[in-house]
Amino acid sequence: MSPELIRLIVEATGDTLLMVAIAAGLGTALGLPLGVFLATSKKGELFAAPVVNAVLGALVNATRSTPFIILVVAIIPFTRLIAGTSIGTFAATVPLTVAATPFIARLIEGAIREVDQGLVEAARSMGATPLQIVRKVLVPEALPAIVLGLTLALVSLLGFSAMVGAVGGGGLGDLGIRYGYQRFMPDVMAIVVAVLIVLVQTVQSVGDRLSRRLNKRLRHA
Amino acid sequence: MNAPVKPEALRVDGLVTAPPVDALIRFEAVGKTYPGRDSQEPVTALAGVDLAVPRGSIVGVIGRSGAGKSTLIRLVNGLERATSGRILIEGEEVTSLTEAGWRERRRSTGMVFQHFNLLSSRTVFDNVALPLEIAGVPRAKIAAQVGRLLALVGLADKSERYPAELSGGQKQRVGIARALATEPKVLLCDEATSALDPETTRSILALLKQVNRELGITILLITHEIPVIKEICDRVAVIEGGRIVEEGETFAVMTRPRHPTTASFVEAVTGVEIPEYLAGRIHEQALAGDSAVLRIAFTGGNATAPVISRLATVVGVDVNILAGRIDAIGDKPFGSLLVSVPAGEPELAAVLGALKSLDLKAELVGHVS
Repeated sequence: MSPELIRLIVEATGDTLLMVAIAAGLGTALGLPLGVFLATSKKGELFAAPVVNAVLGALVNATRSTPFIILVVAIIPFTRLIAGTSIGTFAATVPLTVAATPFIARLIEGAIREVDQGLVEAARSMGATPLQIVRKVLVPEALPAIVLGLTLALVSLLGFSAMVGAVGGGGLGDLGIRYGYQRFMPDVMAIVVAVLIVLVQTVQSVGDRLSRRLNKRLRHA
Repeated sequence: MNAPVKPEALRVDGLVTAPPVDALIRFEAVGKTYPGRDSQEPVTALAGVDLAVPRGSIVGVIGRSGAGKSTLIRLVNGLERATSGRILIEGEEVTSLTEAGWRERRRSTGMVFQHFNLLSSRTVFDNVALPLEIAGVPRAKIAAQVGRLLALVGLADKSERYPAELSGGQKQRVGIARALATEPKVLLCDEATSALDPETTRSILALLKQVNRELGITILLITHEIPVIKEICDRVAVIEGGRIVEEGETFAVMTRPRHPTTASFVEAVTGVEIPEYLAGRIHEQALAGDSAVLRIAFTGGNATAPVISRLATVVGVDVNILAGRIDAIGDKPFGSLLVSVPAGEPELAAVLGALKSLDLKAELVGHVS
């Protein structure tokens, strides 16, 4: 394989990691509060706001039901507004973040809802404010499940990132399509797939291990 | 038969002390109704509850599931709100407090839960520290306080362990230490021993008693287990269908239950079951040569009277002990004996007369040949 191709693969891997890292970071920053709110704002809950909850829930569902490739194209004006352009690797992080946020929010909502309500009652009996309950009880107790959720989100983002070639975003997916498929270079395709497999495996095993370490419900010998 | 037994009615026989004047917590005609779901009828959890918890005492509320005891205890720290009546804590009416007002008040009320409700992500130390963090106590002060409390409950060496590494009894000790962290005046125990085995239950009850005696903390507990009442409660209230059906000093209520619900609870610990070998042979009508089976209840002072020898020497009959259980409530003996005596007309009458003169309650169960 030519040094030129190796350079391309290394560059594409860098692009993929950069896009996924930015989208996951921003998606978590936005998705965490959104997820916490979704998990605590139904009728009778800590921040009861059933109408807002329903509206946000519908919005999250709408975003999640739009196929990613359509979402990328549909929000081009928004991408241009944020990134200044709608083309390229950096611009591609906008649709990735838009797709990641509701996904992460739902994962976090699920993790928070798994926390024993008895703990919320115990915290209330100590005189905790709703915000204290979120910070000191709900998020720490849900953390192992949140980490697993974020791992799942990272793996999904690696998949999504392969589609941003459609708007001129780089990365491994783009490389695989342009060289492996359109230029009939099956060896490039194979390498791209292999690199993606290694990335997914790494993310998954690091996430699993971190979650297990955070989970104090299991007895550690 | 569901009418509540009025305290005045109980006071007649002189066993029940006058209702306490210095009540730390007082319920006055408190009601709680939950709105019905999906156009169903509203559910009444509590109806016209009057209850006084004297300062420094341990008061137990006993009832079956669904009787309303869970709701009742949650009214004291505002986890549930009364829909009618008044609740006074240290003379202050709390029924109309806002959520912020309740938060402030909850910091001086500790609560212990059936399933411990410890945070799995926090060590023992950090679990006990949680109420102090919530109250905004400085870190250095928290460390000293938590150390003192862990020593009190006997878990000083488990400070850095996680709840998953503890036994049920140890978890509840952490729960108690946590409930005491903010130095509350009142400790609420929500079925605190119901998830524990009998031996662990005893050790937790001993700890609660110690907390009550040494720190002067008033305890209100709810339970469905009469041994809990018998073991540590100064006063007991029996709740059924959202009403207090009987209330008074534990010994008085347990030895002379007035309400059928109380009686059935009490029987579980003091009633002597008729042994199986005998049960099939008992008949109602006396036949020639039969023995009469009597159940003698021991309550109060005469529980220590030498009943059997008295019957043997004074009445001159042979007494055969079939089964029995003598126990104690607080420091007073209490229990019952199942005996057989000759069923002949003069002897039986003499035996019953002698028991009556000793102020013991005897019940004729039947006859055996």
